[in-house]
Amino acid sequence: MAVPGTDHEQPAAEAQRLGERLREMTRTRTFLIATLIVILALMYLFGALSGAGSRLMSLTAWGLMLGGVIALGSIGLTLVYGVMKFPNFSHGALVTLGAYVTYTVLPLLPDGPTLSPLSFGYEFLVAMVVAMPVVGAVAIALDRAVYRRLRRTGSHLVLFAMASLAMAFFLRSLIYLIWGPDFHFYYPGQPNPAFRLPLNIRVQGDQVFILVMAFVFVAGVSALLEWTKMGKAMRATADNPDLAGVRGINTERVIAWTWGLGGALAACGGVMYGLSSQLRPEMGFWLLLPMFAATIMGGIGNPYGALIAALIIGISHQVSTSFLDPTYGPAVAFVLMVITLLIRPQGLLGRDGG
Amino acid sequence: MSQVIFIKGLMLGIALAFILPILLPPGRPWRVPGGIVLGLATGLILAALIPGGYLSYVISFLIMASIYGLLSLGLNTQWGYTGHLNFGVAGFFAVGAFTSALMTIEAPTGVAAQYTQVLFGLEMPFLVGVATAAVVSGVVALIVAVPVLRLRMDFLAIATIGVAEIIRLIFQNERWLANGPQPLRGIPQPARCLFESEGCAWLPEGMAWIIEPLTTRDYSAFYLIVVAAFLALLYLIIERACRSPWGRMLRAVRDDEASAAMNGKHVTYARVQSFVVGAVVMGIAGALYAHYTVAIDYSHFHALFATFIVWIMLMLGGSGNHRGAILGAIIIWAVWSGTSFIASGLEPVLAAIHEELPGRAQYIRWLLVSLLLAGIVLFRPQGVLREEMRVSNYLRKDGGSRDG
Amino acid sequence: MPLLKVDDVTAGYGDMEILRNVRMEVAEAEVVALIGPNGAGKSTLMKTVFGLLHPKSGTITYKDRPIHGHEPHDIVGLGLCYVPQVDNVFTTLTVEENLDMGGYLLPDSQLPERREWVYEFFPRLRERRRQRAGKMSGGERQMVAMGSALMLEPQLLLLDEPSAGLSPKLVDEIFDNIQNINRAGVAVLMVEQNAQKSLEMAHRGYVLANGENRFDGTGRELLADPDVARLYLGG
Repeated sequence: MAVPGTDHEQPAAEAQRLGERLREMTRTRTFLIATLIVILALMYLFGALSGAGSRLMSLTAWGLMLGGVIALGSIGLTLVYGVMKFPNFSHGALVTLGAYVTYTVLPLLPDGPTLSPLSFGYEFLVAMVVAMPVVGAVAIALDRAVYRRLRRTGSHLVLFAMASLAMAFFLRSLIYLIWGPDFHFYYPGQPNPAFRLPLNIRVQGDQVFILVMAFVFVAGVSALLEWTKMGKAMRATADNPDLAGVRGINTERVIAWTWGLGGALAACGGVMYGLSSQLRPEMGFWLLLPMFAATIMGGIGNPYGALIAALIIGISHQVSTSFLDPTYGPAVAFVLMVITLLIRPQGLLGRDGG
Repeated sequence: MSQVIFIKGLMLGIALAFILPILLPPGRPWRVPGGIVLGLATGLILAALIPGGYLSYVISFLIMASIYGLLSLGLNTQWGYTGHLNFGVAGFFAVGAFTSALMTIEAPTGVAAQYTQVLFGLEMPFLVGVATAAVVSGVVALIVAVPVLRLRMDFLAIATIGVAEIIRLIFQNERWLANGPQPLRGIPQPARCLFESEGCAWLPEGMAWIIEPLTTRDYSAFYLIVVAAFLALLYLIIERACRSPWGRMLRAVRDDEASAAMNGKHVTYARVQSFVVGAVVMGIAGALYAHYTVAIDYSHFHALFATFIVWIMLMLGGSGNHRGAILGAIIIWAVWSGTSFIASGLEPVLAAIHEELPGRAQYIRWLLVSLLLAGIVLFRPQGVLREEMRVSNYLRKDGGSRDG
Repeated sequence: MPLLKVDDVTAGYGDMEILRNVRMEVAEAEVVALIGPNGAGKSTLMKTVFGLLHPKSGTITYKDRPIHGHEPHDIVGLGLCYVPQVDNVFTTLTVEENLDMGGYLLPDSQLPERREWVYEFFPRLRERRRQRAGKMSGGERQMVAMGSALMLEPQLLLLDEPSAGLSPKLVDEIFDNIQNINRAGVAVLMVEQNAQKSLEMAHRGYVLANGENRFDGTGRELLADPDVARLYLGG
């Protein structure tokens, strides 16, 4: 028998309390993690059932690499989202821009020997290092021209989002104008041998490089946020911009740094994406949904979260190709994002109540 | 004036008689009769004065402007009245277009079936197609709304962009559904037989001579009437609805969710309702588009064409104002059409800069339009026409007290 | 020479004027209390002094330098710091990070020393320096906020309702802290609901009503004034 007095007196209230307790339970991080694990497991199951069993390990490895690309793109996005508080729809265009600027710089540099087992030489890294501040400067310029004005007039978040949509199309049409609609490759026709790992996994040197780079940049940005004065000022500005001003922080300078860093990281993401497939003007737009998904799933403003989420999204995407058309990649990311938003909008590593 | 020109002028006039009363300043007693007379007169004068080729350009311009007017109207019920940041207009537009196409199309048989695959082709009448498009688009909106609408505004924007992208991917990839990625051709047009030499079976004997001299090339003038009628009808319905207590509740929800909730308004229901209503209008716009272009494919529903430009229209016209939304659609569609002349005019200049640039002149149009949106957001975020403050029929124009 | 001088200031939001021709002075090492009913414009005056709101007319000088029209991050370097009434700590940062942000304008090498100085006033913050400010109680947050403001070793501290929402025991503690800070030579200008207590501690006080100066005088004078007592001390 149940505790006397509770089962007969107020069944409605009891049911309501049960509903609340259930809701409490489903809003936790643990439940989110469990759900994601179940989804991943189901994907592997589907993959195995549709006869791709032997390829699943390779798909997982490629998923990790794709996750690295998404992660590189997302760090900048999550940083800007965290400090500025609006979804920057032009981030995808910054990604594309970085890839194309590198493409333009590359032929100007002397060809170095290929860094085997990678498919490129030192000049490629130099070109990327040139492109990163260029795109960072573009991001800062857009902030000066557009977003700073909106901040001054105390505009609503919606206008920021809309302005960023306008800037996305502005940058995209510029990219089309300058580089045209055709596909490009950094090293056309160059062989990119894959080496064989145990369990019949085949990966390319470039892919490993991308993944390592994602980890390095995430660790770097996290260290910056945690230990440096500018990083702390970024977190302070994200937390409470008015108070940051009161404490003597020049928030405009912090915001400029945030944009610059976000743009530079977007460029890096674009270069790695271009390296792993090809350059096309829509590449950033294709990456936009996965990047937003990683940002939200990881917890806005949290680079580690973005990395973990990006890896989950990358793996889901690749594994899903065993039973879905690969062009549905953004859809897989989207579904994972919606699930996160439904269970725990503050994401995997976001704080409660944030 | 020849019979052909007169009939075309009359059809254009009837269409304008539907559109102009919407655009004239509200609150004047002569608005509706004046608009009708002005519309009929303008139609006849235009037909008499300008050569046939230019006249069909005017007509096709008005058809597209009206379809965009519907999209803008739908977006306005979502954004202008409830503050939903729907960046996925293209998705509902596509759902409407493909639904109506599948409802009315003839399923291919024999050899044709190898080239065109569809889930079904029901050969239903046009109006059934439009109605189904409205319903399906509304249902899709409902499915999206339930999980997503309780989220923050910025998440809604991201989520709707995602929904539109997925809808586009489905129509791109799923051959069995609507022949993706190949175009779905042969979408029937309502009463097209009137303009064909055989004529329509249902037309009474004595009437045939009126439309006899018209050919299929003149069909778009008739279709303009259809589109304009839909625009006027939906404008009336939505305008009514937004001035009703329902519309006032939506505004209360938009402006201050907490206090609206405290006043006992069902905030969640209201938000879902306005989202669905907006999507229904977008679905109807999609259906009208499909029957106009006859062949549709996924690339027509790119975020550029079907979401971004609609936002510019609405922002220009002033959110929360249906007349402004439609006016904004017409102006921006004119600007957009005009930029193609700018782009071609710039071609020699571009050629001087780089040999490949003239071929990319079309992207200058996007550049200009994106700068236009940025300019509106920065300098005139309230739009060209402000939201009308008089939202209730029971309030006098001076904002004075209730008289009932 | 007064440290801070507010002369004939009119300020407000948009077309709405909240302050009209307000005058006020704070001398070095002085505690000045600003009291008045709700909506009198006390917090607005604080925000105007600190550059969060720019006056429409009138002048504000600090050590004879005009500071009206300057941005907060410029003013804070001059030697006056401000503790807002609400949202006055970075909730996602630790106590120590909050203090470091208070000392944002200092070179990093000076931060440990300044933190130690602040911990002298608020020993409890030293124990909790690794804790996130968002997880702390209201009284502790107030200490973090005041401590952050002290990091720059200001000569004038502006406190907006430091005791709001605290239990009576904590109110006493916060007032003791303020007294200690003042004894270290820091002038304090504070807005307080708790008029009785703040006037007891203050050297001088100003009473604002409807955005205008109503009364001023020493703390004792104001406490003794029957009009002030009747209107604002609930007596």
